[in-house]
Amino acid sequence: MPQPSRALSFLLVIIPLASTYGDEIDFARDVRPILSDNCYHCHGPDEETREADLRLDTRDGLFQQTGDLAIVAPQHPEASELIRRLVTDDADEKMPPPDSQRKLSPEQITLLRRWVESGASWEGHWSFQPIVAPTVPELVANNSPEYLARNEIDHFVVERLQRNNLTPSPMATRERLIRRVTLDLTGLPPTLDEIDAFLADDSREAYEKVVDRLLASRSYGERMAWDWLDAARYADTNGYQGDRERTMWPWRDWVVQAFNNNLPFDEFTVWQLAGDLLPEATFEQKLATGFSRNHMINGEGGRIAEENRIEYIFDQMETVGTVWMGLTLQCCRCHDHKFDPFTRREYYQFFAFFNQTPVNGGGGDPQTAPVIEAPTDEQRAQLEELATSIDALAKGVETTEGSLFPRSAGESVTASDQAAQLPEGVKKALNQKPASRTSEQLTEIEKHFEKTTPEYVAQLKQLRESNDRRNSVQGSIARVMIMQDMEKPRQTFMLDKGLYNQVGEEVSANVPAIFSSLPTDAPRNRLALARWLVDPSHPLTARVTVNRYWQMFFGTGFVKTAEDFGEQGERPTHPELLDWLAADFLNNGWDVKRLNKLIVMSATYQQSSKVSPELLEADPENRLLARGPRSRMPAWMIRDHSLAASGLLVDKTGGPSVNPYQPSGVWAEATFGKKQYDQGHGDDLYRRSLYTFWRRIVGPTMFFDSAKRQTCSVKDARTNTPLHALTTLNDITYVEAARAMAQRVLQDDGVGSLFRPNASPLETPPAEKDSRPLTARRIETAFRLATSRTPSPAETELLATRLKTLEQYYRRTPEDATKLLSIGESPRDEKFDAAEHAAHTGLCSLILNLDEALTK
Amino acid sequence: MNPHIEQNAAITRRQLFGRSAVGLGTAAIASLLNRDTNAASTYAGAGRVGGLPALPHFAPQAKRVIYLFMNGAPTHADLFDYKPALKAMHGQPVPESYLAGKRFSTMTGNATGKLMLAPVEPFRQYGESGAWVSDFMPHTAGVADDLCFIKSMHTEAVNHAPAITFFLTGSEMPGRPTMGAWLTYGLGSETDELPAFTVMTSISKDTSCGQIFYDFYWGSGFLPSRFQGVKFRGGGDPVLYLSSPDGMSREVRRGLLDDLAKLNEMQYEELGDPEIATRISQYEMAYKMQASVPELTDISQEPAHILDMYGPSVRERGTFAYNCLMARRLAERGVPFVQLMHAGWDQHNSITTELYNQCRDTDQPSAALVRDLKQRGMLEDTLVIWGGEFGRTPFIQGDINNRPRWGRDHHPYAFTIWMAGGGIKSGITYGESDDLAMNVAKDPVHVHDFQATLLYLLGIDHERLTFKHQGRRYRLTDVHGKVVRGVLA
Repeated sequence: MPQPSRALSFLLVIIPLASTYGDEIDFARDVRPILSDNCYHCHGPDEETREADLRLDTRDGLFQQTGDLAIVAPQHPEASELIRRLVTDDADEKMPPPDSQRKLSPEQITLLRRWVESGASWEGHWSFQPIVAPTVPELVANNSPEYLARNEIDHFVVERLQRNNLTPSPMATRERLIRRVTLDLTGLPPTLDEIDAFLADDSREAYEKVVDRLLASRSYGERMAWDWLDAARYADTNGYQGDRERTMWPWRDWVVQAFNNNLPFDEFTVWQLAGDLLPEATFEQKLATGFSRNHMINGEGGRIAEENRIEYIFDQMETVGTVWMGLTLQCCRCHDHKFDPFTRREYYQFFAFFNQTPVNGGGGDPQTAPVIEAPTDEQRAQLEELATSIDALAKGVETTEGSLFPRSAGESVTASDQAAQLPEGVKKALNQKPASRTSEQLTEIEKHFEKTTPEYVAQLKQLRESNDRRNSVQGSIARVMIMQDMEKPRQTFMLDKGLYNQVGEEVSANVPAIFSSLPTDAPRNRLALARWLVDPSHPLTARVTVNRYWQMFFGTGFVKTAEDFGEQGERPTHPELLDWLAADFLNNGWDVKRLNKLIVMSATYQQSSKVSPELLEADPENRLLARGPRSRMPAWMIRDHSLAASGLLVDKTGGPSVNPYQPSGVWAEATFGKKQYDQGHGDDLYRRSLYTFWRRIVGPTMFFDSAKRQTCSVKDARTNTPLHALTTLNDITYVEAARAMAQRVLQDDGVGSLFRPNASPLETPPAEKDSRPLTARRIETAFRLATSRTPSPAETELLATRLKTLEQYYRRTPEDATKLLSIGESPRDEKFDAAEHAAHTGLCSLILNLDEALTK
Repeated sequence: MNPHIEQNAAITRRQLFGRSAVGLGTAAIASLLNRDTNAASTYAGAGRVGGLPALPHFAPQAKRVIYLFMNGAPTHADLFDYKPALKAMHGQPVPESYLAGKRFSTMTGNATGKLMLAPVEPFRQYGESGAWVSDFMPHTAGVADDLCFIKSMHTEAVNHAPAITFFLTGSEMPGRPTMGAWLTYGLGSETDELPAFTVMTSISKDTSCGQIFYDFYWGSGFLPSRFQGVKFRGGGDPVLYLSSPDGMSREVRRGLLDDLAKLNEMQYEELGDPEIATRISQYEMAYKMQASVPELTDISQEPAHILDMYGPSVRERGTFAYNCLMARRLAERGVPFVQLMHAGWDQHNSITTELYNQCRDTDQPSAALVRDLKQRGMLEDTLVIWGGEFGRTPFIQGDINNRPRWGRDHHPYAFTIWMAGGGIKSGITYGESDDLAMNVAKDPVHVHDFQATLLYLLGIDHERLTFKHQGRRYRLTDVHGKVVRGVLA
């Protein structure tokens, strides 16, 4: 019984790829995945586990001929050992061996046979081939009157759709479009004014104007930074037991800035991986290298420092592997890669680039060196001011000491006869130049002269106080862990099973042989590695990056396995478009904003996301892009969205992370009371989600489905559980947002404009007024704030009826109204009738939980 | 994992319409999504929610698991693994032959010359099985005939977090799914009103233990996050964000959700996105949970004699005793995987002090749970496991002349756990350590073997419950593990 159902599940997974997306057998798309999945494990790149000295992952291996025996004989399946072994009934010869838990479906075997029959074409793995921009397809006919191709993207997409007899969808409505693009580019909903302006703008460039405005907004960087922080496993604590706090946030702020300044992606790369090694590296370039130091740090008692250090380097290099190359290198810690052409030796050669920092893996200071101090502008100004005043005060002290302790020029104070009788400690202190005396030394001198020389002591005291102030400012400066190479290189050895103490052969830094080699005239360090990654000849970096951006906008990349571009990763749905975009990205200076603009300006992106039953059956995941993207927002964006809709959002950028609402006891319970959540107040409660303090061992509770920020994550998880519903229904954040949004809506008193700053209080209770049009208008406002569109009459009517019921309830139960209205710390405007306000709060909570309000 | 994909694989709009001739009632959508997606599953004929169609691979012996995880590593030599020779060797240096190739935590470093430490309490034999149990564990001793002690456990990690992660996920590094996630993914649940994988944590009062509960101890790793354990909390809402806000009565909430469903249905009619249908059903489930969880945690109807069985602290929320009672109530309500974690077992210098509190807090409730399940006829198909992440050194950590500070360090080379119930042979001891409880002497059980056995009892071939991630098929037992036949009933 188990076997047939297993075969069935294969069939479900594999068949759609071959049948839906093409007709001709394509080696890379149809054949290699079967071989990789079923055969490479024993007949692949890993030398250690290779059986019968046979490789099926290389051309030579696959077509080798020994005597009469051909593994694959093109056009002759009957003479091909590969086919014979798949279909034989002899259990000793059968492949894959029955005990391997691998088995090909009959359809897969047929496919392999057809492939051999048709000549057994072969090509190298697609993502390792050079990026060459393909010709943009001509559009044969515009097969949808409501659809108009906007740029090259659409040519590729439509051509692909036509091959599958599908047609693109019409444009989304303007309301849905401005919502989609605003959320995608800024993580915030459009304001009502922005919607109105767009609806009123009938110029041809109306949409482009919106896009340009969004790309130039400060919120753009804050939105883009989130995904990068997930990839960089950014957090505000070290993780593991103890989970001590760190101050990496200046690095986070740099990321936001870099996106907003549109730092080209090649520089963005080089700065983060090797900014410290650039000639005359600037502060920002060094700060950027914090990227590699965002890994977890283990302070658990009993841990071996070297073991930690090795783990950190694994994390650093594997993060680079995933983020820039889409490669899963970790397999090679212990053995040659089972599927991709990387050896264990190459893994440790790559390791060697990162093995050069002075980090020793020991616990102690949570900000383990090397670190850079990152003062804020304010701190910088304070320090400058204090330096000036300390200078002046020290001069004053020197002058006084010149007369108190007469001596010849150039001699120290103790050379003076007046100093002969002083205690040793005081002498020692006096021998320091006043400006460089510590506060303790100054105190010692002060004590000695307290009774005898009060003016002198007053001077010393002033100096000491300035000194103290400087120390306190200095101590509050964020220290960011950064990269730095030691002068004397550390030797690198292959480690058996990745164990720190199982040291093998020595290796030196290098890149995997399958790619172009490093230049010979530069040192083999991280800088060389970073430049190699962004060399236009690198086949992966641009593809992987472009794919990740596509994923950001469409929910899924051309390659669904954004983290794996290797043999076991998915083949791209649109290989030509991916390559065209990658080439375009490279040829235009790695311009990220330009790439983003290109994507959102495409008609593909602007399509309606409405889906017919037929289309849903033909392409359930929308991989062929016959409709626009539609997906639930990530949890962090839902929060920002609700704060923005309610008007509570505090649009302040950067700085130390903040502690918004979180149920009490969550940290305490995880740490036995060692860590107490100190909830913030005021602005801290309403900052963008990006600035929420991230404790690694127990992440912010409101960000469901989020990356864990423990190791690198480049893929969105988007699931759907009742716990998410509970969060947006009951979390204070959302209840307060509903209350504030209700208040915002109630500003419309039926007399003046919606958001008049000093709207007059209601003259009569609304129940007695003719509230029909007013109610409808308020509902419309609330609905638009949350969904960016005007509700239909049916929707309005339903909500109006609910509002009435709610109002009756809260009038009947005033104590409930009071309770509901006291949730959250933001003040409530008492001028509004409580029952009415509470009813609208309930209504706004409903609206904020609409599928549409949670979706972009 | 993209929800479109998950849902679409299961249901298309046409199917929805095909089923429901007269439009789309909320209930219709909800029931379709909850039941119909699993039409292929035939788990014991029961109404199973979720799970893979191909599972179970064979008839399961157990339908559910209650795992009493003892964080910090209980000292096997003081509790269950009786070694007269250890007593005889008290104060003598550890024989070098027992240490070959062994690595200990940095607190011990090189173990050469460490002095052997006799168990601090006497052992006695209990029941028909004659199991040896020390005086630390009188209640557990009382149910010895229902238990299967495995005294030949061994593991690879020497530090807590990696060792616990190894036990729960099969790998020392965080990032893989935990057992509960694997089981929920594979088998689904018998209930849709409570989370299938629930977790509760506790710690003995006044312990000096510094362990923490990482949320990856119940994480879903690379499986979709809906398979991760839901932690029932010791204070506040039992489930995060469970309670409606003050001032929003159940009546108000119901009305709002009714309209929410209607409006979402309108959206669904217009856009046809099946994720909208899923969302409608998830909001319904949230509403159900708001009733079912308080019902679960309301123990006012439990008779006094049952409460007394679990001991005095059962009435105090957040204690291990309370959690054990909850575990039984969850099992009764069809929850298939309950993971209780109790920390504080890390007796580096408190064998003669804190260990007593530790046992007082866990001994009676653990035994009561076994008794309570048994008297309800549920022990037959409920698997109960008690054990830590490794054992503790039979030699001393600390000064032999300073009895109040006697301690034992981490010890992965031999330790004891017990299992009971569904499919497990009762009243036996499986495996042996050597005469000093240092190393496994007979029938070793590696952590992966333990995991393979656990899956086996639930009707799963551990080599065939896999998930493809980053190009590789992962499983709970990595590439190892064999079912321990000797413990099967």
